[in-house]
Amino acid sequence: MRDGDRDDLELHRSLSQGDRGAFDELYRRYSPSAYGLAYRITGQQVLAQDVVHDAYMALWRAPEAFDPARGAFRTFFLSLVHHRAVDTVRREERIRARQERASNLEPVAVEDPAEGVIDAADLADRRVEIRAALDTLPPEQRQVLEMAYFGGMTQVQIAEDIEIPVGTVKTRTLAAMRKLRRVLDRSATEDQ
Amino acid sequence: MIDDHERIEELLAGYVLRSLSGADASEADLLLSEHVPGCGECRRTLDGFQVVTADLGFAVEPVRPPETLLPRLHRQLEPHAPRRRPMQMFAVAAGVVAVVGLAGLTVSQNIRANNADVRADAFANAAQLAARDDARMVDVGPVQEISAPGEEHFYLVGEGVPGPPAGSIYRVWLVSDGVTTFVGDFLPDELGRVFLPIDFDPNRYDDLWIAVEPIDAPTGAPVSTEWWSARGTTPAA
Repeated sequence: MRDGDRDDLELHRSLSQGDRGAFDELYRRYSPSAYGLAYRITGQQVLAQDVVHDAYMALWRAPEAFDPARGAFRTFFLSLVHHRAVDTVRREERIRARQERASNLEPVAVEDPAEGVIDAADLADRRVEIRAALDTLPPEQRQVLEMAYFGGMTQVQIAEDIEIPVGTVKTRTLAAMRKLRRVLDRSATEDQ
Repeated sequence: MIDDHERIEELLAGYVLRSLSGADASEADLLLSEHVPGCGECRRTLDGFQVVTADLGFAVEPVRPPETLLPRLHRQLEPHAPRRRPMQMFAVAAGVVAVVGLAGLTVSQNIRANNADVRADAFANAAQLAARDDARMVDVGPVQEISAPGEEHFYLVGEGVPGPPAGSIYRVWLVSDGVTTFVGDFLPDELGRVFLPIDFDPNRYDDLWIAVEPIDAPTGAPVSTEWWSARGTTPAA
């Protein structure tokens, strides 16, 4: 287990007992990643803000939803944010116009750029590893993966959008997930 | 039930990305409730894919949220204890909920009771809904219906729910102008817990019925005499 994960466990334990300081620390630690992800997926600052707000309120109101036996806190929380953001996109079909943004991982242009974002060292390291892992994917696999994950699109929508059979989308998605799992597993093991 | 692990893995990959729809989503629901819990290989695959999808979120450049967000959250952080409403049910419901016969309706999309992330997300949403001042919590037989004005979904939650007689199942309908819409079937888990997120707008329906029905009974309307109503209408009316 990484040091950051151990700190998260302690913070989560404190938050579960109503410690607002722990809440603030988890906010400081993960809100930039959560907001960056939510904004990438929804394409709208207001919606992204609502997604992050709702995720943190859910954490405060039902901290027991995180089960440490099932993985790291950051895995749980970013999944929570991703699911909420995708659900938001599906509700707000008009956001589809922003799908093209899902095709790259460069910083998004926002009114208030992320200057001086405090990014914990372990998260920054993980970011580098994840991007490197993404770079190992063949372009056609990376495309379907990013359209699904960052674009919130279903496999059927992806197939229609890039005009390939749904079966090909499934095959490429599985190949991408297998490879990422293998590469990220290896890098996580090397870090420990 | 399919037993081709290549196909299962394909479904699990789409599932963790939330990119399944239609028949694939229904098939994944069935897998997650009936096959994955008892298959070590599939559980490891699912867990591994879930870590990948969470990690992908960290690939995005972090962006500082608006400075108004934390103060907005602070204003809404109510003390943890004493809580205004009994939330323990969401904690204990964190185990596997046995769900069968989801009839391919959207309710099945949200149940996926064996997936930790989705389940946790649904619990958190339910707790949030239940904590609202305008939340409605109505006893319907062995479970409680939790809904709120303006929300296009609701939850059925229960503890200590007795298992129905052998060969029977709990069956759920929504009723509007005398027309019944079959929602799905459920069974409590081994500890008597029930947690069902349901993607129907309760404000569009006059009533909610739950009945203990033979498993092979038609789904058009209750046929048994053991049934409950949330709003007081009767199946015979």
